[in-house]
Order: sequence, then C-alpha cells, then structure tokens
Amino acid sequence: MLSTLLAASLAGSCAAWPLGRLLGRRGAGWGLALVPAGLFAAFLGFGPQVAAGRTVTERLAWVPSLGVDFALRLDGFAYLFCLLVTGVGALVVVYAGAYFAERTASDRARFLALLLLFMTAMLGAVLADDLLLLFLFWEMTSVVSFLLIGFDGGSPSARRSALMSLRVTAGGGLALLAAVLLVGASLGTYSVAEAVARAPELARGPWAVPILGGILVGAFTKSAQFPFHFWLPNAMQAPTPASAYLHSATMVKLGVYLLARFEPLVGAVRGGRDVVIGVALATMLVGAFQAIRAENYKAVLAYSTVASLGILVMLVGLDGPMASVAAVGFLLAHALYKATLFFCAGTVIHATGLTKLRQLGGLGRLLPVTAAASLLASLSMAGLPPFLGFVSKEFLFEAQIESSWEAAPMAVAVLVNAVIVGVAGVVTLRPFFLGRGRVREVKHREVPGLLVGPVALALLGLVISLEPAWFDRTVLRPAVAAVYGAPVDVQVGLWHGVTPMLLLSAVVVGVGTLLFVYWVPIHRRLRAETLLDRVEAEHGYEALLRGIEAAAAGVARRVQRADLRAQLATVVAAACAFVGWGLLAAGVVPRVPAEPLAVRAGAAVAGAVGLGGAAAAARAPPLLGALLGTGLVGLVAALLFLTNGAPDLALTQFAVESLLVVLLTAALLALPLAAPPTRARAARGRDAALATALAAVCFVAVLDMSAAEPRTAVADFFGARSYTEAFGRNVVNVILVDFRGFDTLGETTVIALAAVIAWSLLGPRGRAADGGDAPDPPARPGPFVLRFATPAFYWLLAVLSAVVLLRGHNEIGGGFVGGLTAALAFAVVALAYGVGRARGRLRWHPLALAGTGLLLAVASGLPGLAAHGDYLRHLWIDAEVLGVAVKQGTTLLFDLGVYLAVLGAVLAFLFGLSREAER
Amino acid sequence: MSVLLALAAAGLAGCGLYMILSRHVVRMVLGLSLLGTAVNLMLFQAGRVRTAQPPLIREGAVRLGESADPVPQALVLTAIVIGFALTVILAALALRAFRGEGTLRSDELRAARALGDPLAPEPGRDR
Repeated sequence: MLSTLLAASLAGSCAAWPLGRLLGRRGAGWGLALVPAGLFAAFLGFGPQVAAGRTVTERLAWVPSLGVDFALRLDGFAYLFCLLVTGVGALVVVYAGAYFAERTASDRARFLALLLLFMTAMLGAVLADDLLLLFLFWEMTSVVSFLLIGFDGGSPSARRSALMSLRVTAGGGLALLAAVLLVGASLGTYSVAEAVARAPELARGPWAVPILGGILVGAFTKSAQFPFHFWLPNAMQAPTPASAYLHSATMVKLGVYLLARFEPLVGAVRGGRDVVIGVALATMLVGAFQAIRAENYKAVLAYSTVASLGILVMLVGLDGPMASVAAVGFLLAHALYKATLFFCAGTVIHATGLTKLRQLGGLGRLLPVTAAASLLASLSMAGLPPFLGFVSKEFLFEAQIESSWEAAPMAVAVLVNAVIVGVAGVVTLRPFFLGRGRVREVKHREVPGLLVGPVALALLGLVISLEPAWFDRTVLRPAVAAVYGAPVDVQVGLWHGVTPMLLLSAVVVGVGTLLFVYWVPIHRRLRAETLLDRVEAEHGYEALLRGIEAAAAGVARRVQRADLRAQLATVVAAACAFVGWGLLAAGVVPRVPAEPLAVRAGAAVAGAVGLGGAAAAARAPPLLGALLGTGLVGLVAALLFLTNGAPDLALTQFAVESLLVVLLTAALLALPLAAPPTRARAARGRDAALATALAAVCFVAVLDMSAAEPRTAVADFFGARSYTEAFGRNVVNVILVDFRGFDTLGETTVIALAAVIAWSLLGPRGRAADGGDAPDPPARPGPFVLRFATPAFYWLLAVLSAVVLLRGHNEIGGGFVGGLTAALAFAVVALAYGVGRARGRLRWHPLALAGTGLLLAVASGLPGLAAHGDYLRHLWIDAEVLGVAVKQGTTLLFDLGVYLAVLGAVLAFLFGLSREAER
Repeated sequence: MSVLLALAAAGLAGCGLYMILSRHVVRMVLGLSLLGTAVNLMLFQAGRVRTAQPPLIREGAVRLGESADPVPQALVLTAIVIGFALTVILAALALRAFRGEGTLRSDELRAARALGDPLAPEPGRDR
C-alpha cells in the first residue's frame, strides 16, 4: 500500500509536465493539485491504525546480497510528515498554478512537475525504513530543490544560490552516507527502526563518534543550522511557492526529522546533546539577529525560519518527554504559519513587484483576504492564544523547565522568541496595516488560487487548538510516542492556570511588542554594525571554493608540466616502485621455471641478435640505424614465433616488419637524418636506469608467470570445438573469424579507420582545381636488378596472398596475413617504379578498398542473423565443383573483408607517406 | 627457453622505454614499436612455450592434439597488425608536424601553447 502511494506520487509528478501544458493557465494548478490531495486523503485513511499505535510496514527485497531492502514504514512521526507534505503540497500546487499564471505554459508545467517530484522525494525520505533508501531520497530532495531554487536559470544569482544549496545539502548528504555505511557495518542491518532501537549498542561501539558526526552534519546542513545556515536565506531566489514549500513544511524539516529519529543515539553518545544544543543556540541567535537586520520581505521570513529551526533542533537535543511533545507541536505550528506567511509574501511581491519591507504599506485594503490570513498566521507565530503557536510555545517552555539543562537555553529561547514575536508583527502589520498610502495600486486583485493556501493553513492553526480532540489522538500522540519511544500523556489545551510557562510567554510577548515598536531604530542600529557580515559563514564557503579551485589549479600546474617525457618517467617510475614495493612487502619470491637454462643454441643466437638490434636502435645516433635496429628486432621476434609453434604470428610479423621498414624509410627520406642527442648525459643516465628497472620488473614478472601452472581451459575449449563446430583446422584462424568474430570485426574497423586517418593526414593539401586528388609523382625507373625481378615478385606475392587467404581456415594463413602479403606485392612495385605505377596497378582508391573490406566483414554476419538470429554465426555449404567436394562458409567472406581492409589500409599508408615524402 | 624469451621481452621493453623517453619524435615512434613487440612476446609467453607444434588440427583428427596454445596467438596476431597501423600513423603525424613546425623535438613542438593557459579562470563563470 505504501509503495503504491509512493509509486502513484512518482507517476503523478512524471505526468505533471505534459499534463500541466495541456491543462492550461487556469486548470494546471487545480488539476495537478489532485495528486497531492488524493495522497493526503489516502494517508488520512491510515488515521485509525496510527491512532491505535500500530505501524504499517512494507518490505520488498531490493539488493538481497547486500542486505538492502526497499523497506517502508509508517509510524506516528512519519504520519505527521506525510500529512504535512501532501496537505501543504496540495495547497502549494494550487498557489503555484495561480502564481505562474502569466508565465509560459512550459515554465508552469515544469515548475509544478518539480514541486510534485520534490513531494515524492520527501515522502520517500520519511517513509524509508532502510538507511540507504533514506539516503537516496535525501539526496533526491537536494537535487530537486537545486532545480527549484535555480528555476530561473537565466539569473546568475539564482544559479549561484542553487549551486550553494546543492553543495551544502548534498555535501552534508555524503557525510550522512558515511554514517549510514558505518551503521550498516556495525550492526549488520540498514533498517532505520532497528538502528534506532539498537542506539546504545552503536554508542558503545568504536564508530559511535563518526556515526553521530555524519548524522549531525547531514541534519545540520539540511536544516540550515549554524554554520551551514547561509544557504537558506540565499535560497530565497526560488520562486515564492517553492520557498513556501521547501522552507516551511518540507526540505528544512528533513534534518529535524533525521535528528529526531536518531535522538536516542544523540543522547547515548557522551557530549552529543551538548553539541546539538550548542549548535542550536548559535543558530537561534544568528537567525534572530539577521532577521532584525534583513530588509527584504522574504529575507526576514527566511532568517526567522533559521531561528525557528534552531529552536526545533534545541528541542530535539533536550531530554525528557516534554521535549518531544514540544518538538512535534512546534514543528507543526511552524509549518502552518510559515507556509501561510510565505504565501502572503508571495502574493504581495507578485502584486506589487516590490521586495523590500520598507517600500510596502497599506495593502490591507487592496488585498484584504491575504491581509487577514497573514494576520492569523502572525498571531500564531507570535504565540498568542488561542492559536496553535501559543500551545506549542507553552510546550516549549515546559520542556525547558523540565529538562536537566541550566538557564542558558532558557534565556536564549526567551530572547529569540521575542524576536520572532517582533518579526510576526513586522511582516504583517507593516505591509498590510501601517504606512497607508505607500502603495496605491496593485497589478492584480486576489484570485482564488492565491487565497486557498494561506486561508486554509491560517484557519487550521486556529481550528487545531480550539478543537484538538481528533488531532491530539491521531497525530500528536502517535508522533510523540514514535519520537520519544514511549507513549506520553499530552493534553492540547489553552488554559492550564497561571503556570511558569504562561508567565514566560507573557514576558516573550511583552519584549516582542517592545521590539516591534522600536523595530526601525533597532534595525538601523544593527545594520550599521557590520561585524557579523564580515565573519558570516558564507565568506567561509566562498573562501573554501576559491581554495579548492586554487589547489586544483596548483596541483594541475605541478603535475601537468607540458613535458611528455617527465610525465612518462614519473608514471613508469611509480609503477616499478609499486610493483617492487609490493613484492618486497609481501615477501614474495618470484618463481623460476624448471630447467631455466635449457635453451637451444639457435634460439639463443636469435635472442642475442634481437637484443643487440634493440640496443643498437636505442643507442644509434643516426635515425636510419635506429630504424634498421628496430626492423632487426621484428625479424628476430618473427623467428622466435616460428620456432615456438606460432607460424601464423611469424608470417604476420615478417610481413609487418618488411612493410614497416619500407614505409618508415619513405617517411624518413623527408626528414633530416641527422638527429643530435636531445638529452643531456645525466638525463640519458637517468633514463637508462629507469629502462633497466622496467626491464627488471618485466623479466621477473614474465619468469614468474612462466613458472606458474598454465591454465588451459580456454585453449582446450577452442581445441575441442574448432573442427566440430566451426569446421576449421587452424585453431588460431577459427578463433579470429568465428569464436571471437565480433572482436576481430572491431579490429578490422580500427584498421579501416587508421587508413582514413592516415589518408586525411597525408592526403593532398593543395587540392587540384577540379577537387580531385593531386597527381602522383611520375613513375621513375628503379635499379636494374629490382626492375628485372619485380614482375616475378609481384605475381608471386599476389598469388601467395590469395592462397594464404583461401587456405587460412585449415592451414597457416588468413585474412590478416593475406592482406599484408598482397600489400607487399604493391610495395615491391612502388619500390621499383615509384608509387605512381603501383597506384596504376591497383586502379582502386585504397580507401575504397578498405571500406569495401569493412562492409564485406560486416555483411558476412548477416546470413547467420537471418538464418539463426545470431549475428556473425557463420553458415556453411557443401557443394561439388568439377567433381571436387568443396565445403565453404561465410567465414571466407569475413576473411576476405579483413584481407581487403588490411590491404587498403597499408596501401593508404604507402601511397600517402610516399607522396608526402616526395613533395 | 622461457628464460630466454623473458630476457628478450624484458630487454626489448627496456630499450623501447629508453627510446620513448627521448625527445626526438622519430625515436619515440620507433621505441613504441619496440615496446609493442616486447608486449607481444610477453603475451605469447602467457600460453607458455612447450612445443614447436603449431595449433593445427591434424588431418583425420577432430580435436587439437599436443600443440602451442592458440589463444594468445589469436590475441597477438591482431595486436601485431594494430601496432603496425599505430606506428605508421604516428610516423605520419611526425612527418606532418615536421612540415608544420620545422622541428622533430617534442619540447619544441608547442603549437598547443598558442591556445592559452587551460587553468586560467574564465570571467563570468558560475561558482
């Protein structure tokens, strides 16, 4: 049932965007408000169960292997939040529909959809009984509130405020995540209820302080507690309906919700209550002080919200059952009157276009209903009887008297409450009832959409305190019982006789009235005082951001020295050091293969020659020498492959090395062959040492690998199925074209793309006027011997390449080797007669060749797809041609594609490089 | 045999790195080619060196008998061709760089500097 409601909420918010456009200017708000209103009605239906003290739970397995469940739980406290979130949500949606009446349909629909999405996130967060789920919804509220605050993304200040609130609240969410993971690791469960029930166990554990710290940082950032409070006044950049929702009933109360849930942990960890109450007192003072100094209508409300949140957090921090009663009562009273006041402020700002309190006055006659609602809400805020605010204030002082705390919280609470009384007077009396004539006309009159919300909530604040029976039974007692952990006997009543609480309330109202009367001089006096501005936490935030950016730039400058050599050396040195350190630290002795010195003489000679070639390549000052050394190494590698059972590799390596020498020689001819040393002697020494270290690490690693028992499962698989399933005897080729055909297709694509890259790099710069390729250099006769032998070589290599291609599936060979061999045939022609002749021989454009090859390879998989629904599953036919049985498959097509792609690519390299070099 | 192959692969890797650390672009390209060969030899070694028998299924047999491991060979075969393409493209780049900048020293190729400091703060960026 709960998950159904949550899903309905999500579906409603997703549908709100398109629906909001369809419903039009008048209908959007009213129509979409049906979603939260329906949810509100559904939650009301849980009333009897909640009143009876039962909790509703639901649990779906989500990630069973990690013990994470999609668990929902509705107890009294969550119930209060669900009613608030959906009830206020419905009114906010109606209000927002009217507030956005002149905006485009797209803006309106987007805003309403975001509001509903935010409501979904809030519902999820308060219903979640799994800490990870709670965290997920928690961060979802941060992200959606970012979108709401930055709704007018065209304004730089809106963007700044949105980013600020996201950084602060989502950053606090990360601290919460750390705490959540620690709780999961300590208790072996992520259940919220169980974690709270086992709070003493957590408090005794080694992670008590980090867990509590993470939870506190999460709650403090979300609920705008000092020193993280600065995001909330900045968030007033949001359109006012969003402010009314986020800062009265929902977002900022989520931190209080979390804190109240984990109140047992706060109490169980030594010093926990001191920290919470200390932070709360600081928040109350800062909020109250800044509320007096603020000039903007919404800013005054915002700072008074900060102060109220401080009071709530203080109440959570206090011990005793009355603290829980007071917290729940004040949470509700504040949500009702603060949402109303934001609504009224929004209407005033919308109707006048003015934002500063100083400019406003005498609006009571122009906006009479709004003025009345504002008055009711202010009376509740001031804590005057018979409003809910009065009841909650009585609870507050009772909780303070009952708790074990000294007088400091009491004194601060009296002072801050007096300021709140003053604010209550200022935000209603000044714009609506004083300063008559300051504003003479408004842009629009009151419309029903702008009135329903404030009037309903303002009256509710009166109805609940006058007719408390249902509310007391269904909402207050279950919520308090859920927070306190045991039923508390509370009585909502207006008259308890002359008690200390009543006297304190009277003091507060008296001081507050004085504050209101002398508001303007006090306001001016405090505005002149700029000390607090200078030490405001917002500066710390700015400085932190600047510091992070400077540090990032500093690190990047230090590491990124625009010198490839130094960076590479650092990477290699670090890698070698890590491997060496790991081996030493773990005490691992590398294994040595059996009979290490059993080496055939021929192989030893080949190896020595190869190493000599490599050393020569590394040391040779002339580039041609280095190139020849590299070529020698390739030939030796081919020999090693040949003598160790890899003729396919040997053939490929031979062909590649020959082509590489031809191609690089062509390129080098265009470059200065003299290459003076680019490194100082000392640098060369360091590089040699580094190279030796790398060689040593490689040697040890390969030796150790050789000594280990080989794993042959994969090789056995291919060996057993190559012939029976893929009808090929050359297992290497079968792997390439069949078992791992997809992989090879990717590599063929790489080759074809390389051809395109090389052609565009080396292609004709100065295009001929007709747009065609520049003419190739004229054919020139080569040395006599070469000319004499070339036709023979050409045909030999061409035929060989065809044979290698066709036999590849059963004998040595395949598309790769075939393509390289064919390219060698053209290279011989190019060497003897120049590139022009070779291009003439080819007739095709090399890129066309490569592209055709790629297409063929891609197409060869299609018959399998058509026949078996399996791309690149090759098909085979048995036929008899001229009396000879022929068994052929689409593998040949695939290999032909590879052949053409490789041939086209190599020729693109050859023609491009030669032409570029001969320019 | 495996000691010899290990020695060859390690030596090649060292020489390749030494060349890559040079500031001459052509040397770097050649060094990369050497390093590629070294890595191919190491990959080949992963299948162990047991026999000179290539992985071909004999006439009349239906499954592979005693032979070299075909799996690393399939990997190395494409790696050789791709490494070759990489080397050639790098050479082409070197050639073009020389045409454009008149030098082959990596520390003198500084066309990117003209684009300015990537870390300099941009005016008007949101914070």
